[in-house]
Amino acid sequence: MELSRRRFLQTSALTAAGVAAAAACGKSSSPNGAAGGSSTISLWYWGGGLSDKVVADAVKHFTSVTVKTSVIGGDFKQKLLTTMSGRKFVPDVTGIKGEDIASFLPRAERFIDLNTLGADKLASQYLGWKWKQGSTQDGKLIGFPIDIGPTALFYREDLFAQAGLPTDPATVASQLASWEDYFSAGVELHKALPKTFLLNNVGSVFNMVVGQGTTRFIDTNNHFIGDQDHIRRAWDLALRPLQLGVDAKINDNSWNAAIGNGALGTEIGAAWHALDISSAAPGTKGTWRVAAGPGGPANIGGSFLAIPATSGNPKAAFDLISWLLSPQNQARGFTDAALFPSSPASYTLPALTAADPFFGGQKTIEVFGPAAEKIPVAYEAPADAAAAAPYFSELTSVETKGKSPDQAWADAVSQAKSIAAKQGVSI
Amino acid sequence: MATRSTVEPRPQPGSAHRRPAAGRARRRRRVLSYWPQYLAVSPFFVVFTGFALVPIMVTFYLAFHDWDGIGDPKYVGLSQFRYLIHDHTFWLALWNTLVIWLLATVPMLFIALVVASMLNSAKRLSGFYRVAYFTPSVTSLVAIAIFFFAVFSSQYGIVNATLHVFGVPAVPWMTNPWTIKIVIALLMTWQWVGYNAIIYLAGMQAIPTELYEAARIDGASAAQRFFRITIPLLRPIILFTVVVSTVTGLQSFTEPQVMFGSNAATNPNSGGPGQAGLTVMLYFYHQAFDNNDFGYGAAISWALFLFILLIVAVNWRLIGGRDR
Repeated sequence: MELSRRRFLQTSALTAAGVAAAAACGKSSSPNGAAGGSSTISLWYWGGGLSDKVVADAVKHFTSVTVKTSVIGGDFKQKLLTTMSGRKFVPDVTGIKGEDIASFLPRAERFIDLNTLGADKLASQYLGWKWKQGSTQDGKLIGFPIDIGPTALFYREDLFAQAGLPTDPATVASQLASWEDYFSAGVELHKALPKTFLLNNVGSVFNMVVGQGTTRFIDTNNHFIGDQDHIRRAWDLALRPLQLGVDAKINDNSWNAAIGNGALGTEIGAAWHALDISSAAPGTKGTWRVAAGPGGPANIGGSFLAIPATSGNPKAAFDLISWLLSPQNQARGFTDAALFPSSPASYTLPALTAADPFFGGQKTIEVFGPAAEKIPVAYEAPADAAAAAPYFSELTSVETKGKSPDQAWADAVSQAKSIAAKQGVSI
Repeated sequence: MATRSTVEPRPQPGSAHRRPAAGRARRRRRVLSYWPQYLAVSPFFVVFTGFALVPIMVTFYLAFHDWDGIGDPKYVGLSQFRYLIHDHTFWLALWNTLVIWLLATVPMLFIALVVASMLNSAKRLSGFYRVAYFTPSVTSLVAIAIFFFAVFSSQYGIVNATLHVFGVPAVPWMTNPWTIKIVIALLMTWQWVGYNAIIYLAGMQAIPTELYEAARIDGASAAQRFFRITIPLLRPIILFTVVVSTVTGLQSFTEPQVMFGSNAATNPNSGGPGQAGLTVMLYFYHQAFDNNDFGYGAAISWALFLFILLIVAVNWRLIGGRDR
C-alpha cells in the first residue's frame, strides 16, 4: 500500500493522540504515597526553605521508606492550596511559610496534629513562642518549627565612629535601647554625615514595633483591635524618623544602591537580613556590627513543616520531620542556608558561635541568641496580614505624598475595619 | 465546517417526511467522515475548554460564594458585589487602570501608525527595522519591568542622573502617583508600538498604490494622502488594534506586580506608593491569592470583564460606527 500524505497524517495524528492518552493515564494511576500507603514520603519545600545538604542526607538516612523531595518554585502557598483543594498529589510533608501559617490554622482538620505523633515530647527543645505560632488555639500542633527571624539592629560601625556615636555593640545596645534614643542617635548621625540616613522607610519601623508587642490587629476572640493604642503607638513611632528628617524614604529597589554607598547608617532586621546586606553591599564587609535592637526583639519570617491529613504514613513522615529539624541538623541549616535555628540547643554549637568576618569578626549569636528567647508571644489571626496591609499603604502615602498623618490614620483604620469585617472578624 | 451542510443537496420534502431517521443517519455519517478535520482543530477546543471555559464558569460560580481556597464554598448571593460597590480600593484600582490604559494606548497607536508609514516607505534595511520594532513584544515582560524600574529609580536611576547633568531637579518617578502611571504607560507603549506597527504595515501594503498615484496627480500633499487615504482605508485594522489594546491594556498586571513586588511579606501587591500602580488585575490577585478571598477575587474579575466589554462597545461605536 502506498503511503499517501493524507494517510500518513492520519496515522501520525492517531499515534500522537494514543501516546498522549497513555501518558495521561500512566500519570494518574501512578501511586503518590497517599494511595500506595507507606513506602514513599514526598516532601515539598521551596528553594532555601530547608538545607539541601540536610535533605540529601535524609534521603540516604531513611532506608525503610523512600523520601521523594520536590523543590517547588513560584508562589508556594498557592500551589499547596491548589493541590490540597484538589485532594490529589498532596505531599506527605510540606513546608509552610511563617506569613502563611496563620491562614492555614483554621483548616487544622486538613493536617495531622503532630502532638499525636509524639511532637509534644520534643516541645522543650524548641522556642515556646515559635511552637505556639505553629499551634491552633486549642493546642493542636500543625507546623513544626524550621527557622525563625529574631530581629536586631545592624549598624555601620565606621559611620557611627565618624558621627561620635558609640561603636561597641554592648554600648550601642544600652544607649540606643528605646526607640526615642535610637531616633536621637539618628539625628546626630545625619547632622554629622548629611548623606547618611538612619533607616530605609517608616513601614519597617511600624512592622517592628507591632512585632515587639503581645497583641496585633485582631485579638483571640476574633475581634478587631487595630484602632487601639498599641497600634496607634506603633504608627506614631513609625512617623518620628520622617518628622526628624532621618528617614531615607526608600520604597523601591534602590535600597541595593543605598546600602552600599553609605546612605543607610542602620537597618533593623531579622537575622537572615544579614545575607541581604552582605550580598547587596559586599564592599562594606567588616564595617557592619549587630546590637540588640531598640524597643526589644521581634520576629520576622521563619517557617514550618506540616503533614497534610491525606498522608499515607504519618509516622514515617513525622520521623522525617523530627530528623530534619533536630538541633544538630538545624545548626547545619544555619551554615548551609542561613536558616536561624528554632532550637536554643543549636546556639552553642560551633556552626553558630563562629565569628562572622562580615561583621568584623563579631559573634552575632551573642546578640541573636538572647533575642530569639525573648521574643514575645503574640496571637496572629488568619486575617491579620490582610487587615495590616492598609496601615503600610497609608504610611507610605504619608512618607511619599505628604498625606496628613491624621487623615492617613483614619483611612487606614476604616479600610482595615472593612477588610477585617469581610474576613469574618467582629468590629 | 458549519457551512458545509448548506452545500449538501437537500432531501426531497416528501422523502424526508417518510424516512427522517435515515436522513439523520446519513448526515451523521457525513459528519463522522470529517473526523480528521475535527481532530485537527480539536487541540484548540480541548485546551480552551480546560484552561479557559471551565475556569470562567468556576469564576462565575465563585463570585456568588465565599471561599478561602481549601474549605467548602458558602453561597452568599450578591454580597460580594455589594461589597465591591462600596470598596474605595476597587474604584481606585479601576481609575488607575483606566488612566494607565489611556496614557499607554493613545500614544502607542498613534506612534505605531507613524512608525508603520515610515516602515512602509523605508528603502534600505526595512527587514532589520521591522524585526527591531517587533522585538520588544516578544521580550519577557518581567525583564522589561525590572529594567524600567531601574532606569526610573527615584534616587539612582539613569533618567534622573541624565536630568541632573542638564541641571533639571530629580523627578520622584516611583513615588508620585502620576509619574508611577506614566512610567507604567511608557513601558506598555514601548513594548507594543512595534507589534501594532507591523499590523498597520500589513494593512498599508494592502492599499492599492493607484489611489496614491491618483491623489498625487490631483495635487494632494503627503499629509493629505495620509489622513484622506491611509487612515480611512485602515479603519478596520485600527479598530482591531484598538479592541486588542483595550482588552490587554485594561488587564495590565505584570508591570505593577514586578515593579512594586518588594516588601512582599508585610504589604504584598499593594501597587506601590499611594497604591498608584494598583490595577484591577493586581487588586484581584491581592484579594484572591494574598487574602485567600477567592469569592471576592472572582467578583472583581467579573466586574472588570463587564467594564472591558463596555469600553470595547464604546470603541466600536467611535471607530467602526460610521458604517452602521
